[in-house]
Amino acid sequence: MPDQIKLKKYLIFIAVLSWGLLVGSSLLYPVKIGQSTAATSLTETFSYAIKAVFVLAVFMLQRIRVNSYKGLDLLGYLWKLFFRGGITAYVCAVLHFGYQWAHHYFTGYEFYLSTTLYALNFGFFVFFIAKAFYIWHELLLYQKTKALVFEWRLFEGALFVILLLSLFQLDFLDFIFIPLQPLLAIFVVFLSFHLKWVAYVPGAKKWRVILLLLVILASTLIFIKIFVDLHLNTPVYNTFLDNPFIRLITLFVVLYPAFSLLVAIFSLPTASVFEQKRADLLNFQRLTQLIQQGEDQAQVFKTFFESAVNASDTDAGWLELLHEEEVEIVETFNIAENSIAQIRQEVQSPVASNLDYVNNNLDNSQFKRLRLPYKSLFVTPLRTAQRTFGVLYLLKDVEQGFDRETINVIRTFVSQTNLTIENLQLAEEALQTERYKEELKIASTVQESLIPKTFPSDSWFEISCFSQAAKEVGGDFYDFLQLSEGRIAIIIGDVSGKGISAAFHMAQMKGIFHGLMQDNLEPVKFMVKANNALTHCLERTSFITSSLYIIDYKLKGIFFARAGHCHTLYYNSMTEETFYFNTEGLGLGIIRDQNYSKRIHNMHYDYNPGDVMVIYTDGIVEARNKNQEEYGEDRLREMLAQTYHLEADDIKNAVVQDVTEFSQDMPIHDDQTLLVIKFRNVQPNFSA
Amino acid sequence: MKITQEIKDKTITISLNGELDASSSVLLDEELSKPEIMLFNKVLVDCEHLNYISSAGLGVFISHLQRFEDAQIKLIFFNMQEKVKNVFEILGLDLLMTIVSTYDEAMTVSNE
Repeated sequence: MPDQIKLKKYLIFIAVLSWGLLVGSSLLYPVKIGQSTAATSLTETFSYAIKAVFVLAVFMLQRIRVNSYKGLDLLGYLWKLFFRGGITAYVCAVLHFGYQWAHHYFTGYEFYLSTTLYALNFGFFVFFIAKAFYIWHELLLYQKTKALVFEWRLFEGALFVILLLSLFQLDFLDFIFIPLQPLLAIFVVFLSFHLKWVAYVPGAKKWRVILLLLVILASTLIFIKIFVDLHLNTPVYNTFLDNPFIRLITLFVVLYPAFSLLVAIFSLPTASVFEQKRADLLNFQRLTQLIQQGEDQAQVFKTFFESAVNASDTDAGWLELLHEEEVEIVETFNIAENSIAQIRQEVQSPVASNLDYVNNNLDNSQFKRLRLPYKSLFVTPLRTAQRTFGVLYLLKDVEQGFDRETINVIRTFVSQTNLTIENLQLAEEALQTERYKEELKIASTVQESLIPKTFPSDSWFEISCFSQAAKEVGGDFYDFLQLSEGRIAIIIGDVSGKGISAAFHMAQMKGIFHGLMQDNLEPVKFMVKANNALTHCLERTSFITSSLYIIDYKLKGIFFARAGHCHTLYYNSMTEETFYFNTEGLGLGIIRDQNYSKRIHNMHYDYNPGDVMVIYTDGIVEARNKNQEEYGEDRLREMLAQTYHLEADDIKNAVVQDVTEFSQDMPIHDDQTLLVIKFRNVQPNFSA
Repeated sequence: MKITQEIKDKTITISLNGELDASSSVLLDEELSKPEIMLFNKVLVDCEHLNYISSAGLGVFISHLQRFEDAQIKLIFFNMQEKVKNVFEILGLDLLMTIVSTYDEAMTVSNE
């Protein structure tokens, strides 16, 4: 901030100028006792005003200065105060006592020397208390509250008002100050009790803090001693030091470090407890943060083990992980491997019970014969909801080493670790699931490509298809193959089960269809060969239902075989009847030997122009509504009876819409496939 | 799905209650896979309260069919609801497995 730098420069200028004026005026117009002329009164007033200005400038300067120290650690503040302020006391002491010892060498110049020295002492003193005032202010407001900030402002404001008022040097002011001064003094004492910062000094630095506080306190006392000396020897000086502003601040500057010193000394024995608690808290934090940092389990165990060892002040210990068959020791502290084996042998049964085990008097147990130096033992399992995955062993060489407090802290660490490990596992699982989803998407795309996109379009029939999988991938399939001109094979099938395994078999079946039908097989031959082929690649509980239709335009007939698949729905335009082909036929993969050929039959039907054939999978007729009722064959037949006159596409849409309406809001629980084939009313002449 | 069983001499009657879907099929498979089932010479399946059978459920029966036949154990279904029977018929299982109407009938069939 350039404004502040400018302000600082002005303040320095004002301070130096006023100090210079002070020295000059003291030298030129010495005040003599007993004289009270108008001239001396004027000089006195002038010198008083200059002092006030100097004090104000120095305080303002320090206010800005100390504010720029922000970011220092606690010890840093004390160093600054000592090196930038406290040291002046020692300089002044040297000058003061040096002068007292040597003043007789300077006879004749005594007045000039002592006056300058006094001004020097005064200047340094003001500088020191200003710095101390604001540095103690920083420490006092460590971990501040709003109320405390307000109280401080009140205190600071009151002091500056006093400083300004004192400029007028009015007698009646004393009457105001009489009750005000003790009140403010009490306030100083009250403020001086805000010593939180002492607790936050790290244990190793406590002694340095105490030392610094001592020398700073000594600085203040040296100043006081110098001024008391001076005033006793020569009560001449027109002093500013009886000003309530200076007195109150001096009180504060003495009291605050004195209190701090006492607190620092008396907190020494308990500091380690506080430190430990703080370390525990930090370790908890580290344990929780490990997940966010994407650390692995090994890091969690390391952090946990170190935390537990530190928190319990253990002499030895180890952490082992339980795998399926073996035990892995992941962390050890101060203990040899053979001792681990021995100790584990001794506490086998309590550890197996999966509960915490504390033995604070190992000498009274079998343990003693191991001749190990340990007297207390604490064992605790680490476990997630599913299983125990690790055990922590801690040992101490004193009896009653594990008190309730220590055990509680370790337990908290254990639960935090359990949570962390569980969370890590969950995170890993989530990642895995995400990967599976990705794979499924690929599977879905692959399967999509297996379903024919282009339908055989011909002048003698039209075809329309609908297919919807219950999951990403399904077990329904259908396909077409042009066998020869005027002869086309249509297959529909349903693999038992759903999902990935069904999708695999569906792909297999598609391969079998294209492979076998190259030989232009009749439907039953195809089914027998397909059953044979599937014997080797279908697990025992799986089977496939399928129907194969060969539409022969030359013969105007449909040849088909039904292998356990849903009955074919048919509309005959001559008789105007809608019915199912109720034929026999066993599903594929149920009987896996030559006997299968006895269970499947060739069927033949002559079609007429305008006939409609509806082929579907059980996902259509077994679609359910809220009342768990099935859509059923009857409703499907009814739909065809109403829509046979439409085009294949419209018949399909009508059926799909009816099924959707029926099973409103219910998730589809099985793959659905629907094929509608309509023989055109006007059949073209076949020229072969 | 609730599966209960009752043993009488060399006959075990397994009663199915509810829907035999992919998850409950696993229970049934466990039941039928037990080695002690091979000690009987008739396994009767009471389907009176079987409301639905999925392809997974059918798969369980199919997979045990051959095993039972080899061990000369008769697998007989009785009290089957019409819509469940329809599922067996469509798949062609009615010709492969013995499905009768009543328990008494089932007992006589198996005594042949």
